Amino acid sequence: MHQVALLSWAMAAGLAAALTTNPFYLAPLGAAALAVGSSLARDRGPLRSFALAAALAVALRTALALLGPVSRGSLAAAALEGARLAVVLLVVGAFNAASDPGALLRLAPGRWHELALAVSLALSIAPRTAEAAARVREAQRLRGLPTSGWRALPALAVPVLETGMEEAVTLAESMDARGHGSGPRTRYRPEPWGPRDALVALACAAGGAGFLAAELLGAGGIDAAGAGHVSLALLGALGLLTSPLWPWPRR
Amino acid sequence: MAEALSFAGVGFSYPGAEDPALRGATFSLPEGAFALVAGPTGAGKSTLLRCCNGLVPHFTGGRFEGRVRIGGRDTLEHRPRTLATTVGFVPQDPGASFVLDRVEDELAYAMENLGVPRGAMRRRVEEVLDLMRIEPLRDRSVRQLSGGERQRVAIAAALTAGPRVLVLDEPTSQLDPQGAEDVLAALARLVHELGTTVLMAEHRLERVVGTVDLAVGCKAGEPPRLGPPAEILAWLGAGPPVARLGRILGWRPVPLTVREARRAAGSLGRLPGPPPRPAAGLPAPGEPLLRAQGLHADHGRGSVLRGVDLELRRGEVVALMGRNGAGKTTLLRCLVGLHRPAAGRVAAASGRAPEPGRDAALCPQVPEHLLYRSRVVEEVAVTLRARGRDGAEAQALLEELGIGPLAPRHPREVSAGQRLLVAVAAVVATGAPVLLLDEPTRGLDPEVKGRLSELLRRFAARGGAVIVATHDVELAAALATRVVLLAGGEVIADGPPAEVLADSPVFSPEMTRVFGPGWLTPEQVARALGA
Amino acid sequence: MRRGALLAANLLGAAAFLWPFLVPAPGAEPHAREAPFLTAAILGCLLLVVLGELGRAGLGPKTVALLGVLGAAMVALRLPGFVAGFSAMFLPVLVAGNAFGPAFGFTLGAVGTFASGLFVGGLGPWLPFQMVAVGWVGAGAGLLPRGRGRILLLAAYGALAGYAFGAVMNLWFWPFATGGGPTAWSPGAGAWGNLLRYVRFYALTSFAWDTFRAVGNAALVLALGRPALAALDRAARRMHLEVAPRAAGP
Repeated sequence: MHQVALLSWAMAAGLAAALTTNPFYLAPLGAAALAVGSSLARDRGPLRSFALAAALAVALRTALALLGPVSRGSLAAAALEGARLAVVLLVVGAFNAASDPGALLRLAPGRWHELALAVSLALSIAPRTAEAAARVREAQRLRGLPTSGWRALPALAVPVLETGMEEAVTLAESMDARGHGSGPRTRYRPEPWGPRDALVALACAAGGAGFLAAELLGAGGIDAAGAGHVSLALLGALGLLTSPLWPWPRR
Repeated sequence: MAEALSFAGVGFSYPGAEDPALRGATFSLPEGAFALVAGPTGAGKSTLLRCCNGLVPHFTGGRFEGRVRIGGRDTLEHRPRTLATTVGFVPQDPGASFVLDRVEDELAYAMENLGVPRGAMRRRVEEVLDLMRIEPLRDRSVRQLSGGERQRVAIAAALTAGPRVLVLDEPTSQLDPQGAEDVLAALARLVHELGTTVLMAEHRLERVVGTVDLAVGCKAGEPPRLGPPAEILAWLGAGPPVARLGRILGWRPVPLTVREARRAAGSLGRLPGPPPRPAAGLPAPGEPLLRAQGLHADHGRGSVLRGVDLELRRGEVVALMGRNGAGKTTLLRCLVGLHRPAAGRVAAASGRAPEPGRDAALCPQVPEHLLYRSRVVEEVAVTLRARGRDGAEAQALLEELGIGPLAPRHPREVSAGQRLLVAVAAVVATGAPVLLLDEPTRGLDPEVKGRLSELLRRFAARGGAVIVATHDVELAAALATRVVLLAGGEVIADGPPAEVLADSPVFSPEMTRVFGPGWLTPEQVARALGA
Repeated sequence: MRRGALLAANLLGAAAFLWPFLVPAPGAEPHAREAPFLTAAILGCLLLVVLGELGRAGLGPKTVALLGVLGAAMVALRLPGFVAGFSAMFLPVLVAGNAFGPAFGFTLGAVGTFASGLFVGGLGPWLPFQMVAVGWVGAGAGLLPRGRGRILLLAAYGALAGYAFGAVMNLWFWPFATGGGPTAWSPGAGAWGNLLRYVRFYALTSFAWDTFRAVGNAALVLALGRPALAALDRAARRMHLEVAPRAAGP
């Protein structure tokens, strides 16, 4: 799925979750997030971590409420607050599991392209920096210099920084010599935007808008006070937020 | 024949520098030439290369005079990014020059910048992958490539923009013989099949001098000269061992390759007597200072050392050789006490495991990893103080090692070769009796090589032991009292260089290839002939 | 650069952080739950506008390379081997902002925070807050006068920035943190009243942690500032980078 479609789902679903404390909306939304996350995942790791964080959020928020005046109502309210945060975390986790940061960065248009490039450079150079730091530490240890404590810092950090600067010069020369900044760029790896992506983006935009409208109008049972009161329209909006899961004929 | 590149009265000074880096450069390269830029470090080779694509002066600033025309365009009127389609530039450290992760994407980067349509990009990427013989690598991450592969990918990445001229800064200096051969073969293919003009700076002359047809010599303070390799190398007083021999013996023309040397030597008949041992000046080896027994070591993915036995004795200078990946670095790290072996043991003279920095000291592969002070003399003083000695002895130590004049300079602002010497000094200052060097190859011009060899021999002569991991055969031939060959994690040869280097086809020095086993250096041969 | 637009964007961003003090209306309470998303969206737009403005003329290979290498330092500091990674991440921003100017400092703050966020946890709605806040730290470092006592000034600024960063980041969830009482947000209390409540909240919660961070920043700058600035200045010279307070370099 195109990254922009995925991002639109994440933003819409996250917004919807942030706006409601009605458990009849939150529960299916959370389930949808988990489903989207597992079915589209390139790497399940973030999904699991954020699911864990979600569980913790509910637990902590409820525990926090125990510190104040306790009643069934206040506990339930606290639990729902926690659940709201939890579903947002599930959406974030699903997005991270399904997204491809490289593709996301490559999509950066025009004037943001160089910044996206800087981000991807930072990520790919970081392992070398860490390794250089380890090598410097060993080398200085072999010289008899201290390798821990404040006094050791210049001996450890300066060589890494200086070497990094020298490599920055090589990198900049290489980029310059290969035409960086020559004008409009073309893309070697196309990220095709197909009808399915358009459908998902539109559906999610509509779903998110539905929840926003409900919040602004104070209608549809969007808050906990309306628990037990569920509007068909909002359920429909919620259904739209499951659009990444809808089956699409494979060509 | 058309001109690919021409320099007319080119002079250049870096911003803030007193002396010009380049002066009065005037020459032109014909299309399809395969040219070498030779000369000691600091003579302006890098500057000259960067003039070709406009990095000098557009990227560096500074004062520029004269004119450089490349592919018909004036570099003053065109920025480097516009010249990308005319000239490709390959820096010395390709690992630091990669922008993207996948090889294929890296190749396409230049074309994306230039707005080449996708269809043309796909075609060009395929062409260049085939040309450089790197098609199997297309999906790999650039971080996982070997040195030779990285260099070829960097060349490919510059080629996709379609330049007719290719400029390379020391493409083989950090490669083992196999990697170097792959890169040079690829360059030769470019010249012969595509008619690309190639200009490259190189120190390891014995590798390249037989393939190039022109040379540009750079000498500090003088204008660069273009001419046939033999002539330029003679002017520089540099050259591979066969050329040095030819100059000593007065051969005309001076041979540049082993083949030419064999022809010239044919008239000599057999050399008198068994080869004398190279002038040692070193005492016979004394007691062992480090001993490794049954060493097994793992690193990363698998076992790297499989049962290595090695002894380092007082007064020895050992060359540790082997292909990249054979385990040289791991072995050094075990010997110095940094890496704990999976099995077997290493013992210092005391009998216990070696204490890093006390029983043995290691000069790392990247000497810059040690340097953090603002003056060379302080680098040495810091080590002395850390070892409980007097920092004021630093100057004397530098003098003893032959680099006294460098004392007040900033370690990062001296040449690469000098930085290596500074790092060695900083490590020698630990007072450890065993000195280990891990592949000192960067910026190693003949002068620095000579200084380093002298430094190491003196260290051994005063009762220390040295072990140098290297794939520079000529260095090993000239310097070592013993050669250890490592392959697949095992020691496959261990003995005097005359024996070990004679057997191996990959690691035999030029003198051996011309005159037979036992002959290692030109000076040795010359002495035998009474010259 | 269109200074007016930048200024406006930054003011809007400030408002996005400081909204609990600026929203006195009693009717705001029910809508407070949108606030985090709304402010995240505002800050996200701020980032797009400001960074887009900085990148409009093209940053150039030198700036991109420096951002990459220094950003990599920030990412590497989040690796498990380094203690208090998020805090140490400020050092490259402080030093580079001071060496290369406020535009670079802001950009590095934003880029490095984004990259290290990607590396550590993933993308989430907290990122715009972090990016803008760290960016401001970098920009501020670039605005400091350079003369005598440059390192001391930077260290003091680093300490101040440590507290300011913590205080400002806490604002994000403060209105929802507790159910009531003297440390909680109260929409009817007015700007001053809320400020007092926030000071109490801050003192109870992250003041201690932020002291640790502030002291850490200052100590790092004192220990490494001089050689780090020397290295960066040398790189700027070698690269012939124009280091003007408002330019991002060629």
